[in-house]
Amino acid sequence: MSQANTHEGGDDVLSIQELRLKFHTYAGEVSALDGIELSIKKGELFGLVGESGCGKSVTALAIAGLLPPNAEITSGDVFLGGKNVLTLKPEEMRLARLRDIAMIFQDPMTYLNPVITIGNQMAEITRAEPKLFISTLATHRLRQIDKLVGGTKSDPGLLAERESLTHALESQSLGRKELNELTRSYSVSLLKSVRLPEPEKVFGMYPFELSGGMRQRVMIAMAMMRRPKLLLADEITTALDVTVQAQILRLLKDLRSEINTSVLLITHDLAIVAEVCDRVAVMYAGNIVEIAEVGELFRNPLHPYTKGLLASVPRADLERTPDSIEGSVPDLLSPPSGCRFHPRCPKAFETCPLKKPSMIEVAPNHYVSCLLFGG
Amino acid sequence: MVFVLLALSVLIFYLTRGLLPPTTALAPYINPRLTDAGKLSIARAVGVATSSCPSFSDFAALQSGCVTPLWTQYFFWLKNVLAGNWGYTLLPGISGTESTWSVFFGRFPYTAELDIVAAVLTFMIGVPLGIVSATHNNKAPDHLSRIVSLGGYSIPQFWFGAMLLLVFVLYARIGGLGLLPASGALGTTCAVCFSNPGAITTYTGLPLLDALLSLNIPYFWDSVVAIILPALTLAITSLGLLTRIVRSNMMEVLRQDYITMARSKGLKERTVIYSHALRNAILPAITVAGLLVTYLIGGSVIVEIVFSWPGVGSAALVAADVLDINFLELFVLVAGVIIVLTNLIVDILYAALDPRIRY
Amino acid sequence: MKQPENNNAKGRRRHSDFRFALHLLRQNPIVMAGLVISVATVVLALLSNLLVNGAYWHQQNLNLRLCWNNPAFSWPVTNLFNCGGSVYPLGTDAYGRSLLQMIILAIPIDLQIALEVVASAVAIGVVFGSLAAYMGGLIDEVILRITDIFLAVPWILLAIVLIVALGRSLTTLTLAIVITWWPWYIRLMRSQVIGEKEKLYVERLRMMGAGWPRILFRHVIPNSIYPILVQSTLDIGSVILTVSALTFIGLTPNPLLPELGNLSNQGIEYFFTAPWLIIFPGLTILIISLGFNLLGDGIRDVFDPRLRR
Repeated sequence: MSQANTHEGGDDVLSIQELRLKFHTYAGEVSALDGIELSIKKGELFGLVGESGCGKSVTALAIAGLLPPNAEITSGDVFLGGKNVLTLKPEEMRLARLRDIAMIFQDPMTYLNPVITIGNQMAEITRAEPKLFISTLATHRLRQIDKLVGGTKSDPGLLAERESLTHALESQSLGRKELNELTRSYSVSLLKSVRLPEPEKVFGMYPFELSGGMRQRVMIAMAMMRRPKLLLADEITTALDVTVQAQILRLLKDLRSEINTSVLLITHDLAIVAEVCDRVAVMYAGNIVEIAEVGELFRNPLHPYTKGLLASVPRADLERTPDSIEGSVPDLLSPPSGCRFHPRCPKAFETCPLKKPSMIEVAPNHYVSCLLFGG
Repeated sequence: MVFVLLALSVLIFYLTRGLLPPTTALAPYINPRLTDAGKLSIARAVGVATSSCPSFSDFAALQSGCVTPLWTQYFFWLKNVLAGNWGYTLLPGISGTESTWSVFFGRFPYTAELDIVAAVLTFMIGVPLGIVSATHNNKAPDHLSRIVSLGGYSIPQFWFGAMLLLVFVLYARIGGLGLLPASGALGTTCAVCFSNPGAITTYTGLPLLDALLSLNIPYFWDSVVAIILPALTLAITSLGLLTRIVRSNMMEVLRQDYITMARSKGLKERTVIYSHALRNAILPAITVAGLLVTYLIGGSVIVEIVFSWPGVGSAALVAADVLDINFLELFVLVAGVIIVLTNLIVDILYAALDPRIRY
Repeated sequence: MKQPENNNAKGRRRHSDFRFALHLLRQNPIVMAGLVISVATVVLALLSNLLVNGAYWHQQNLNLRLCWNNPAFSWPVTNLFNCGGSVYPLGTDAYGRSLLQMIILAIPIDLQIALEVVASAVAIGVVFGSLAAYMGGLIDEVILRITDIFLAVPWILLAIVLIVALGRSLTTLTLAIVITWWPWYIRLMRSQVIGEKEKLYVERLRMMGAGWPRILFRHVIPNSIYPILVQSTLDIGSVILTVSALTFIGLTPNPLLPELGNLSNQGIEYFFTAPWLIIFPGLTILIISLGFNLLGDGIRDVFDPRLRR
């Protein structure tokens, strides 16, 4: 593992280099990530596509430092905004999760605590490190007050509040009660910004009282609260109806432009990728096989797996039935040698089982990892 | 629930009066100075002899037609009991023969306070032990706490109490630290407390608590000193179940997705464990309360004997020796009421605390 | 008959379960300790008659009572009585018998009572629990209510009342404990069978015309009995605790009987003059029940599907 703690990556928000990871299970060692490389720029909506079990979620967990105890990172670096996340101490990692990374998960029912109200689950974020949020909370409320104190009639209560808030901003300190109230108003406006009806009511509700789509919006609101540099969205639309899916995706795009967060959108659904992503990486059995801009990938897929994936999507405008890729996903306990895709690849040749291909830039900003293209 | 208590009363009645000769029920009332006719009239008054029985010796010999049928006896007894009349007991009260009720409830507060203190200790020790075990799964603290809880579960209560007595009383006395008493509900710090307890108003009926609330500190402190060892014995031997349930609940909760989510929000680990995990894990542990009460009441029988604690548990043994069935019946039914009530309260509490059930 | 396929699948699963269990067992030193202790106890029980004369406990030698002459340790109590020539490693009891020999004689007796109790409770629990679950309806209600009644009382009170009613003997002692134990086994078996009877093969058997006794006894019960057996191993230790508690408070048939709780009873009476009388029998109970509890706890952890990683 490289000892470098900083890295000049230009305006890369995230840069993963040669990350290898394995799980220790009682059945043996599972090689989950086999040297993946990717980077995400500021404000970019980056898609990560692949079948189930190819390691997409594991990648996200590795970035956030939320891997289960039986996981071991054997080599590689993960740079978040210049700092190597893998070398951070647990407390520093926790702060990084609070400030810089936000993660949204697939099934909001199981990812929200059933016995705590939505409001409390949002409020505890600011309670965790109040100092970090003083500016955000105070500025937001001040803006609200400014809107209310527009005309000639000025409510003395509001004016007094504005006084104390400005003072709090300067001194960077906030009383407990004030913190709670500010958090409440900020949370409610966040809930409104994710298009939840009756945000005041939602604040006091329990997760089971909301529908799947509403819960997902709550999760997005919780993520937006921290204004993170990087948003990790792990299959966030998989458990939702198609119509709700579209709404959530639109919401994501709007928020990205508002706050300029980078998003790593993990999904197995190519349609979603085509709809919202700027760039996309295709993943297979713990390896990244192709990275390209979205349009380029759909127009000109290079890797045989990518081609197979695109061909297997049902399309109403073509006459033929979709093809499927032969074979099945490899067992990562004993993965295939060399290129992991070679047993199922229609274009495989003799060198494929022998040599593992590396990532090569075949066209501008279009990378492939396949021996057909050198590498 | 009422059905359970009624059925229990039938069961106990059958065991005590159906299997033992009917003369047993007369023991508290009969003294040798009574004539045969006197004994017979008592037997009739208590409901075991029929009015058509010619003489007491016929009754004692169980002549047919002399002993009232068991079911009739039962309803007679039930009528009396529901009216609050539990008969007399052989156990000594303050002035010779006393009503079962007053003797029982004269001693009951001591058992109650012992059990309550033990319950508090069980929770105070058992729950943190379970949490530590779950959060440090399979590491040293886990093994240690499993040994403690399993050990508590495997230790004979009388032996543990005796060991505490040995160390803190026998050896301490020899070492000059004779703080804790060998017997009774009062310690050794207050020389006059037994004969002259001072002013104690009855707020709760529990001697220890009343002393505190009456600000009678010498008596209170003395009682605390005396209650520590028996309560600790009860607690250590009862916490095994609680620790095990808290541990397995916590382990399951910590694997849930919302715990990962909480961590991903950047919350402090302590917040994750107490605000998120524990709140979900502790709820099912409440259902253990009924079982715990059962253990505690049963355990106090043994512990009271070891420590000569003046409660109903130690009295129960004397009652068993002299075949005082009134006392035993009352004890069993009071215990039954307490346990059934506890289970009911637990059910209500569970529904009240879990928002999912409320809606 | 399409049954063999089902049985094979079950058989294969059990076999790999077993190997996995053994693997985990070997990794856990605490459970191994439990296994060692339990086995040692059983061995000691079987050999006890070879180590000590079986009739030893009948004799009383009041000259030698309550004395301690083991030079390795001395108690801070005045030695009231003289032990005479031979060294008694654990002192003598209130009747002048060597405590060590009494303990050795007591182990098989306690173990035997424990096994009888567990076997009876298992038998009753299996029969009535599975009947309740399989028949459902009124039978289920009645059996459930009956267990509720027995569970509403602390076990020791019920046992005391029973022994008071039936007199003191080894049989009533065993009976008293069985009566307090069977509700648990009934409930356990019942919940197992309730889950089992919903399985597909039961419906298949019913469609083939098999009568309910056959289904119940030849198929459902053998498939559900596994956790009961695990629980009964665990309970052997608890029963020994229960028996000794009852004899400790004096509900023993014969004060001379070599039984661990009985010996401790003497111990509490003479606590300040002969503390060894309560320490060593109690220690023996502790070790034996710890052994079985560790073993049972470990087995339960191993087979709990929720804890498997």
